[in-house]
Amino acid sequence: MDADSDVALDILITNVVCVFRTRCHLNLRKIALEGANVIYKRDVGKVLMKLRKPRITATIWSSGKIICTGATSEEEAKFGARRLARSLQKLGFQVIFTDFKVVNVLAVCNMPFEIRLPEFTKNNRPHASYEPELHPAVCYRIKSLRATLQIFSTGSITVTGPNVKAVAAAVEQIYPFVFESRKEIL
Amino acid sequence: MAAGALHQWPPSGAGKTPTLGGGFHVNLGKESRAQTLQNGRRQIHHLGSQLQLNQHCLDTPFNFFKMAVSKHLTRGRKMAHVIAACLYLVCRTEGTPHMLLDLSDLLQVNVYVLGKTFLLLARELCINAPAIDPCLYIPRFAHLLEFGDKNHEVSMTALRLLQRMKRDWMHTGRRPSGLCGAALLVAARMHDFRRTVKEVVSVVKVCESTLRKRLTEFEDTPTSQLTIEEFMRIDLEEECDPPSYTAGQKKQRMKQLEQVLSKQLEEVEGEISSYQDEIEIELENSRPRAKGPLPGLKDGSTEDATSSAFGDEDPEDEELEAAASHLNKDFYQELLRGGSAMGDSEATGVPDETCRPPALDLGISDSIRECIASQGRDPKDTSGDGELDLSGIDDLEIDRVSHRVGAPGPRSQPQLRAEKEARIAKEKELGVYKEHKPKKSGKRREPILASTAGEAIEKMLEQKRISSKIDYSVLRGLDSKAEASPQTERTQAEASPQAERTQAETRPSSRKLARRRPPASRSRADPLSSVGKRLRPLVSTQLAKKAAMGEALLPNRPAPGAELVRPAAVLVESGPVSYHPEEEADEEDADEEDGEPCVSALQMLGGSDYGCDGDEDEAY
Repeated sequence: MDADSDVALDILITNVVCVFRTRCHLNLRKIALEGANVIYKRDVGKVLMKLRKPRITATIWSSGKIICTGATSEEEAKFGARRLARSLQKLGFQVIFTDFKVVNVLAVCNMPFEIRLPEFTKNNRPHASYEPELHPAVCYRIKSLRATLQIFSTGSITVTGPNVKAVAAAVEQIYPFVFESRKEIL
Repeated sequence: MAAGALHQWPPSGAGKTPTLGGGFHVNLGKESRAQTLQNGRRQIHHLGSQLQLNQHCLDTPFNFFKMAVSKHLTRGRKMAHVIAACLYLVCRTEGTPHMLLDLSDLLQVNVYVLGKTFLLLARELCINAPAIDPCLYIPRFAHLLEFGDKNHEVSMTALRLLQRMKRDWMHTGRRPSGLCGAALLVAARMHDFRRTVKEVVSVVKVCESTLRKRLTEFEDTPTSQLTIEEFMRIDLEEECDPPSYTAGQKKQRMKQLEQVLSKQLEEVEGEISSYQDEIEIELENSRPRAKGPLPGLKDGSTEDATSSAFGDEDPEDEELEAAASHLNKDFYQELLRGGSAMGDSEATGVPDETCRPPALDLGISDSIRECIASQGRDPKDTSGDGELDLSGIDDLEIDRVSHRVGAPGPRSQPQLRAEKEARIAKEKELGVYKEHKPKKSGKRREPILASTAGEAIEKMLEQKRISSKIDYSVLRGLDSKAEASPQTERTQAEASPQAERTQAETRPSSRKLARRRPPASRSRADPLSSVGKRLRPLVSTQLAKKAAMGEALLPNRPAPGAELVRPAAVLVESGPVSYHPEEEADEEDADEEDGEPCVSALQMLGGSDYGCDGDEDEAY
């Protein structure tokens, strides 16, 4: 993934969020009564449904929009979404699987060195913000990729982006800056 | 300023009334904006005076506020939040010792909400607030902690400590106030001030545990090893890793160590278990020798008796468990067979099953029902529409999940019964039907009606096969032989009236009869320990406590319980008797409860006896 760096970085994807539409109204009460592994949050007007394989949690809204979280790859997210749609079909809804979209990917990456956060923030001023009063990490936004990175002093970085590719690109992009303000090994 | 003074007087309510009139509409935009600014200025002044800011620090936030208003950043945010953010922005740029926490304290708003607003303003207004330096807060907190004359010295020491902490990477990612607190606490102690953690906490407004954590982190740095004088003089060159980093590494190392240790432990355990096996074999070999002095027992019966008495776990219980495990195995196989047909779906299905409570009939019936349901269902449901790509989606699995969860809903009794019947029929069809019922009902024995105790024993032997290991014919032979012998006859004659009495007492309810029988038989066998003695362990072999007594081991010694039996009150047994007629009765009568109490009783006995059999059981 990081061709430019001499150390291979493992980007571990921990969560993929995707959305799809069923193009039909979903009777939440029916899902809650007849579906498997469901939680009906009536005050919010949604149903949580969990699948075991792939292990995802879906938020089902009565409008027919469904948000799936918890997958660890884009393929898995799609598979889980399809399975969910199928299980809704089995409940008797006229489900049509449309508008599938991966909306968010969360990944973790560990740098093999510690990072001087104040220095890093100073060097990357407009993009990075460091508020130890609020959060221990530096928040670094890459506008072009729509990715946000949380950079911790220990060298671990959490990346959120719209898709896996963007996440990988963001890590690639941040690496030289982080490397610049790493803690020198004495 | 003058316009502001003019507009300041009419309160907001009065200011709004003209908008109702049409004539003001032209000016409305300007008017409203001016009013907003006016309000903002007032609030900034109010807040700023509370924070004790100087005049310059009050003007700049107003400028920020004007910028924010002109950029429409106030929309969708509360006025107070925006103003607080503006104020904090100035505090940061000017380097005044104010925290966001102070502002949120004044406004009674969550810090993070304020922080969000502040960050947004800073980003949108392109103001680069310098990073917080914890040193800023030291004088402020030191003042609050009231060090008196030594205030300066203490704060200098605290500052020095803070510098050191910074070098040791303690400040990155940490709240400045927590660090200040730790530094001040240490500094105060260094200057002989008694400041408790609580006092410091109330000033710096962090949690006590946070402060303690900072202190322990500081303790881990090499600087903490220095004496006070050394600390004042020496600057250590090296830096430490961030505490969280070292902690993470420590955790990793511990994990590795644990793995290695567990591996070694396994090896050792294997060795131990092999030794254990050897020991057990040795013990097994030595046991019959210990039994050598047993009189007048035929070989077969001796072994049986020992096996039943020594067999630590009751034979019946063993049988039951064997049956249970067999059944379990059966239905797992069934499930697996079904699963392999269904392909990969089984991978998730089986663990589900294993998670379930291993209650015998419940597990079987459920899983069988499931299997049947999933097998029977498939063909009709596969009609999907074109939109959904079904590749890789296992309908069976979905079905199975939904079916299972759907099944145990609230159902009426007749429905349940009908379902059960249907299920049984299906099971029979498939040839997997296990008779659950008869086993239970089989335990409820016919009441034993016999004129003499011996007869009763005989009847009971006929009815109840306690263990497959016992050679019943030999037993029966023994019994008859004993009856034939004159001595036993005499004892029987002695005992029979008593037995009859007890029977007469208890005849009304057959349960009671069964309950009192064993004491009767024992009392009969009391004077001469032949038949009854030998039979007793058989009669109540499922009683674990009896096995503990090891009565079969020493049949010559009259059981203490037996001596205490008085003819009048058969049930009143006292003294150090582990044997209890009530319990036995319960266990004999309600055999379905056998498994549990027996096991627990065995456990109460201690490991040595139970252990070897337990191992056998696990080997099943």
